[in-house]
Amino acid sequence: MLQPLRETCRRLLDDGTVQVVIGYGQAMRAVEPYPVFITDPNDVGQLVWNEQCRTNLVKYLLRQEIRALGKPAIVVKGCDERALVVLEQESQIERSEIVVIGVACDGMAEARCEVCDAHQPRFADHTIGHATNKEQSAERRYAHLAEFQERPIADRMDYWKAELERCVKCYACRQSCPLCYCQRCIVEKNRPAVLDTSPTLKGNFAWHIVRAFHLAGRCVGCDQCSRVCPEGIDLRLLNQSMARASEASFGHRSGTDPQAELVLGNFSKQDQEQFIR
Amino acid sequence: MNTAASDPANGEFEPKIVAYVCNWCTYLGADLAGTNRLEYPANVRIIRLPCTGRIDFNLIVKAFEIGADAVLVSGCHPGDCHYTSGNYHARRRWMLFRELLATLGIETERVHFTWISAAEGKKFQQLISEITSTTRDLGPYHAYREICETCEV
Amino acid sequence: MSQIISQPAIRRLVKQWLREGKRVVAPVQIRPDLVSYQPVRSADQFLLDGFIRPLNSIKEVVFPRHEQLFQYRVRGKQIDLLPAPLPDIERIVLAARPCDAAALPILDHVFNWESRDAAYNQRRKLTTVVALACMEHDAHCFCTSLGGGPDDTRGSDALLFDLGDDTLEVRCVTDKGQNLFAGQTESSTRTAPSVPGPERQADLQQVGQQLEQAFERSDWAAWTNRCLGCGACAFGCPACHCFDMVDEGGPTCGARVRNWDACQFGQFTLHASGHNPRSAQSQRQRQRIYHKFHVYPQKFGELLCTGCGNCTRNCPVSLGVLPVLEAMQAEGA
Repeated sequence: MLQPLRETCRRLLDDGTVQVVIGYGQAMRAVEPYPVFITDPNDVGQLVWNEQCRTNLVKYLLRQEIRALGKPAIVVKGCDERALVVLEQESQIERSEIVVIGVACDGMAEARCEVCDAHQPRFADHTIGHATNKEQSAERRYAHLAEFQERPIADRMDYWKAELERCVKCYACRQSCPLCYCQRCIVEKNRPAVLDTSPTLKGNFAWHIVRAFHLAGRCVGCDQCSRVCPEGIDLRLLNQSMARASEASFGHRSGTDPQAELVLGNFSKQDQEQFIR
Repeated sequence: MNTAASDPANGEFEPKIVAYVCNWCTYLGADLAGTNRLEYPANVRIIRLPCTGRIDFNLIVKAFEIGADAVLVSGCHPGDCHYTSGNYHARRRWMLFRELLATLGIETERVHFTWISAAEGKKFQQLISEITSTTRDLGPYHAYREICETCEV
Repeated sequence: MSQIISQPAIRRLVKQWLREGKRVVAPVQIRPDLVSYQPVRSADQFLLDGFIRPLNSIKEVVFPRHEQLFQYRVRGKQIDLLPAPLPDIERIVLAARPCDAAALPILDHVFNWESRDAAYNQRRKLTTVVALACMEHDAHCFCTSLGGGPDDTRGSDALLFDLGDDTLEVRCVTDKGQNLFAGQTESSTRTAPSVPGPERQADLQQVGQQLEQAFERSDWAAWTNRCLGCGACAFGCPACHCFDMVDEGGPTCGARVRNWDACQFGQFTLHASGHNPRSAQSQRQRQRIYHKFHVYPQKFGELLCTGCGNCTRNCPVSLGVLPVLEAMQAEGA
């Protein structure tokens, strides 16, 4: 897998198709692979591929430092790739200006990989390796959430109080999210302030409600936010509840269909709910 | 809004209800209730916005933050939006937002959504009476107020 | 001769401290893979062994992430300012890592520099720090490069050593530590063997020399361009101390509050005019390194880093201080 990956990247850099490859690299002593930006074809040896390449690299397509390096090629897994689809739908990237190198993935030793149905990338320009996509029922995909939802409402509130109490508002969740791209985040608007910037329970609830809901119908479930949270807050529960509702009510799975319309950018006169009187 | 006032130590609990209503239908419905002298509980604070499409979900959170015991969001019936589709957009938004509130353990029975036209003064009166009485039964929203208390130093 | 105490005896002490209304902060297992300093509610809740480094720091005991400076109330034309009361709860930090404790004297400089911060100093006075010497380290630890070590006593009032079989050696460093353990320990002939720290990993002398001329180097982008601009490094750092002051509330009442801030945020240096003197992430990373290894030492004669490695542990993309220093060193002077 690694050799064809490096060869593809070398070729793309060599013939000038791209100026930079966004991939995974690893230093001798580093515990985990981290993002690297290869601009010299002779440096493709720095690229690695292993069971710990969990980070979703798509965010880097939006960062000015990386954009400044020139036309990019990006290494994605089948799950990360869904973020690219949404970014294109939302006009944040020009797909033709990016070369996508999809790598087949048998799982990254994370719980979510057990219910993955995107082992094999579907929209990549170059695909390395082969894996089989298995159909996964919504029931299985949202089992973690369903289990949580079974708790009584007061328990759920207590759970979030204990979890969000620890949030220090480092915004690693936002900064790592491939779909958080506002030039100025709502939490940074201070004339007037929309929500408290303080990392109090009040400010933290307000922040996590905003963060989750701004991803409603958009989140692709890469779990990058939960993975990077230094306080170990399980943000995917919030994201999943939005994703499950989008799927159940509007048949929409974010990032799986480039032709699909955005959930909250659209409406249907036939939308069915039970709670509006 | 003074949070302490809605929860007096002695005496009956008077719920505070924040109603975000659209300018073109529900606000006029409330107005009609007034001109028809239809009496409804004074527990509701009406906040007029251009359209349900404008009613940001943060406003619901904000209402709870400042001590509301229940929130009402109300606008034009489907098909009647002054801006043709604001209420359809809002409907989708609330369909998802209620899920988020439920996951967070926020009591969705304190968040009400209705369509009330400019001709439905009676419906407005009944609705406010009903929400006031169900909220009175639910009691003060202590759970969210606890969240909003400041932390120790 | 040494002084020893058993784990059950420590837990009994904690029970007593909690009964006396003291706040006890110690490492708590939040999840199977996550240890964090948290206020302890019961005496069996915290860890005395089996962890390397909590992912947050003890600075919060003296420098909370959020604190009110004063409240305001507007009544008619009258505006009342109600200053926040000085903290009065006694705090005991138990089983802090030496790299955490060592940051407290560093923080003291900045909170007593141009003006004395009353609330900080009060909390500092009310706090007793009992550190726990390290038995193990991981790939991110580099305390020994910066003059620290697994049994460093800087900032600690007492230092505990794990002797195995539920017994700890107590070495009191200050009077506060003496008072805390007075009459609670037994004499013994057992003493803890010295534990080797992480191998030196950063050559501070070389870094210092490089920083003399590295400000304008174009390499900063290459060294740091994977930084995503969050505050995980600064907020998990025992020595980072930047804060922001904001007014929160409404037209009739509210408060001026002080919250943690981080130099990696794009907004940190954003001017009201829209101009941002640190417009690129590499400039913000450069700032972090310079502040820790150049500006602060020049001003206060001490590094603003204890080598705990939390910046890298918490970093979504494994950056942090050490990887940048290593990249710098690899490039040479």
